[in-house]
Amino acid sequence: MNSVNADALIDSEHVHLKEVSAHNVIQESSQEKKLPGDLAMWFFILAELTVFALFFLGFAVAEHLNTDMFAQSKAKIHPFAGLINTLALITSSFAVALSLQAMYKNNTQLATKCLVYALLFAGVYIVVKVWEYQTLFALNIDIETNTFFTLYFLITFFHLMHVLLGMVILTYIAINAKKGRYEQTNSNMLKKQLTASKNSISGFESGACYWHMVDLLWIILFPLIYVI
Amino acid sequence: MITAKKLFRTWLVLIILTVISIVLAEYFSLSITHNTIFIVAVMFIVTLKGQQIIDMFMELSLAPQKWRFLLMSYIVIIPSVIALIYLW
Repeated sequence: MNSVNADALIDSEHVHLKEVSAHNVIQESSQEKKLPGDLAMWFFILAELTVFALFFLGFAVAEHLNTDMFAQSKAKIHPFAGLINTLALITSSFAVALSLQAMYKNNTQLATKCLVYALLFAGVYIVVKVWEYQTLFALNIDIETNTFFTLYFLITFFHLMHVLLGMVILTYIAINAKKGRYEQTNSNMLKKQLTASKNSISGFESGACYWHMVDLLWIILFPLIYVI
Repeated sequence: MITAKKLFRTWLVLIILTVISIVLAEYFSLSITHNTIFIVAVMFIVTLKGQQIIDMFMELSLAPQKWRFLLMSYIVIIPSVIALIYLW
């Protein structure tokens, strides 16, 4: 009787182990390390980061060589504007990240809603930046005033152009998401089978990563211009 | 997949770090020259914020390590070089 019970126990343990092993295989395949978005977008992001790195280092060297002039010029810009813009971009990036999570769950309605919020916060950034430029122009300060303002206008305007491009990309992916043109799939075979009207979610991921890059650049730009 | 709860935590950390850097700027504004501690602290905050964006928002903590390493090197090297230039 005892030997029958022991055999039954061993059999049930074998079945359990097989189930656990199959579950682990499925989990491993779904947790496979994958670069979000398209590879081409990542090369573009790296190129953009390199260009901005030269601007950042150039700004730091110029400040090191003209400490007094930079300190006097920095006193004329509003740190509060920089703070609002930082909070706006961080919150916008957060909304985009939430939107992508919603897309992973095929919740297109929530994804679109989050993208609209992200665009609204990006709008706050644009309004504050335009106000900042107008305030400086009213004080007769422009790109030719001195080295600080040449670099200030060049770098912040270049970044502003990236924000505008990012907003165009976010609008495009929001429209596509609303129309249900993104399909979440982890299988490469299924990705190939998607029809022309249905794109893989990697297009959405690429747009999101571009927007996070814009945020990342501002994270470095903000202390350079407004804090230090 | 990074959960909404983790994303919210990341957002909160980023906001707090931003406010800390502004508070530090106000605290050190009385000193005439750039303070070493201030520069290092602000650039360290930049690195922390960058790491949060790279790992959580960009989801590179779930990507192949070489890509994460590439972006992390950027957010460590650039602020470090900037700090060195200011402190030179």
